[in-house]
Amino acid sequence: MPPAPEAPSLVALRDVARVYPRGTREVAALAGVSLDVREGEKLAIMGPSGSGKTTLLSILGCLDRPTRGEHLFDGRRVEGLSDDELSRLRNRAIGFVFQAFHLIPQLTVAENVETPLLYAGAPPREWRERALAALERVGLAERADHRPGELSGGEAQRTAIARALVTEPRLLLADEPTGNLDSATGDEIAALLDELHARGRTIVLVTHNEALARRAERLVRLRDGRIEAEERP
Amino acid sequence: MLPLPVLVRLGARSLRLHKLRSSLSILGVVFGVAAVVAMSSVGEGARRETLAQIASLGIDTVTVRPRPREAGPKAPAALPAAAALSLGRVVPGVRAVAPLRVAELPAEAGGRSAAVIAIGTTSAYRDATRLEIASGRFLADLDVDDRKRVAVLGASVARVLFPLGDPLGETLRLGGDWFQVVGVLEGRASPRGRGTAIRGRDLNRSVLVPLPALDRGADRQADGVDEIVFRVSSPEAVARAAEIAEAVVRRASGEEALEVIVPREILRQRERTQRVFNVVTGAVAAISLLVGGIGIMNIMLASVAERTREVGVRRALGARRRDVAAQFLVESSLLTVTGGVLGSVLGLLGAALIQAFAGWPTAVHPLMLATALLVALAVGIGFGLYPAWHAAGLDPVEALRRE
Repeated sequence: MPPAPEAPSLVALRDVARVYPRGTREVAALAGVSLDVREGEKLAIMGPSGSGKTTLLSILGCLDRPTRGEHLFDGRRVEGLSDDELSRLRNRAIGFVFQAFHLIPQLTVAENVETPLLYAGAPPREWRERALAALERVGLAERADHRPGELSGGEAQRTAIARALVTEPRLLLADEPTGNLDSATGDEIAALLDELHARGRTIVLVTHNEALARRAERLVRLRDGRIEAEERP
Repeated sequence: MLPLPVLVRLGARSLRLHKLRSSLSILGVVFGVAAVVAMSSVGEGARRETLAQIASLGIDTVTVRPRPREAGPKAPAALPAAAALSLGRVVPGVRAVAPLRVAELPAEAGGRSAAVIAIGTTSAYRDATRLEIASGRFLADLDVDDRKRVAVLGASVARVLFPLGDPLGETLRLGGDWFQVVGVLEGRASPRGRGTAIRGRDLNRSVLVPLPALDRGADRQADGVDEIVFRVSSPEAVARAAEIAEAVVRRASGEEALEVIVPREILRQRERTQRVFNVVTGAVAAISLLVGGIGIMNIMLASVAERTREVGVRRALGARRRDVAAQFLVESSLLTVTGGVLGSVLGLLGAALIQAFAGWPTAVHPLMLATALLVALAVGIGFGLYPAWHAAGLDPVEALRRE
């Protein structure tokens, strides 16, 4: 079900560029991208290596700031926010899922999932309960007290998804979420993302995987830091 | 900021990841703190001993005696007993003056014997040195005037010679004469160390008899005394009184080489020595904690480098710069405080060994342990600042990309 065209923009990028200094030269990872992510939408970003996908995702995730252009999150200008305010925005409104899971090895599964709650200032007595609820949602409650090293790839990525969801963020960003998984496990993760989307979560994912990208409502193809094409699969 | 208990739990978890590395990194702090705790215990032991000696001599008591001769069998010259009388008249604020004859003599009673310090003196000695009577009475003026053969026993002499019964009324043989016991002194803290500034007399080991009753042998002046002890009414008057007393005794005796023992002066001298000792201890502390702190900084920088990606992940999940900094600061503080605790234990152990084998008295000031831990904490924070600041400043995007 595609979102109604009048659905409000959760994220709006206007002519965003990101330039990195490389020695004496400057390299433009993004060279003027305008993009809207609507509330409840599932958007896939594809493109060859070096096309600016990851930079775009970093900017959408408020981890990086554009060199120029305008970035609005839920109608608020992001450029003017302080580092602390950006951290708060990431904490409350954005969930990250990484290709390599990026679980913290010395913490248990439940503690990994609790981590965003620590920084959210949630009351400590709620941490465990909310982490278990998030793990329940991805079907991993029984692994709560295991270490990341004891998990299979699929379980690790489910843990990461639970961690991304635990603060109930408006936007879920996934960077190659199936890239480190075999195809059967990758399908499971893809199905999980579909299910989250069906329940109304806004999802932006970056992938090389055409099949995964085709499960999104909208597909943006990047090349050389620009949007080359936009499709509705 | 995260609650401290959460930070401590997280920190402990991270440090346990590398048990060996964490343990090795705190060795510098452990040995530094141990050295300082052990040295301070020795210093504190010496200080307390000085105080105990001064307490046993009395802070307002002054002793005048001929300076002991450098070598040779000749006993030091005696002072005329009359000098004691002039002291009582001339010295301002004087409260009690007692002339003393002293001899090391064997004592016997009921088949038991002991080497004691026989002191011939007058009734004023009680007030001059603040003696307490446990039972019976002290020497009276009449005993001195009548050369009565009565004796007052020090606490340990009474215990050794009369272990079973009450010594009052019993007789003991002191040198060649028999004395009747009329009193027993209260036991008092006695100087036990060696090589200290004050050669305090152990009154527990002494037997007090009337001045004329102590046979000093034929080789000395009949009316000579070995020491004059007097007490002044206020501690402030001690220094001036000692000066005057020295002049008076010098004039009365014609003896140039006099020794005037003023506990207050000795205390001051001792404090000067203590200050030097404290500076040395402080220097050792500073150097070892500097070395220990550099070790901690080194290991924390390695830890930050190794966990760069964790920093990136935490930043992505909403950690602010200061949350990251706090996490690493708590880790470095945990390391040094653990080092401080282990070092304190090791230092106390060391102090106990020094006391057992070298025989130096040691004592632990409770504030010193608290200080050691606080300093350890300060080292953790101080040397953890740069690594923590470095971690907090990492760019989240770069940090996440790091393998």
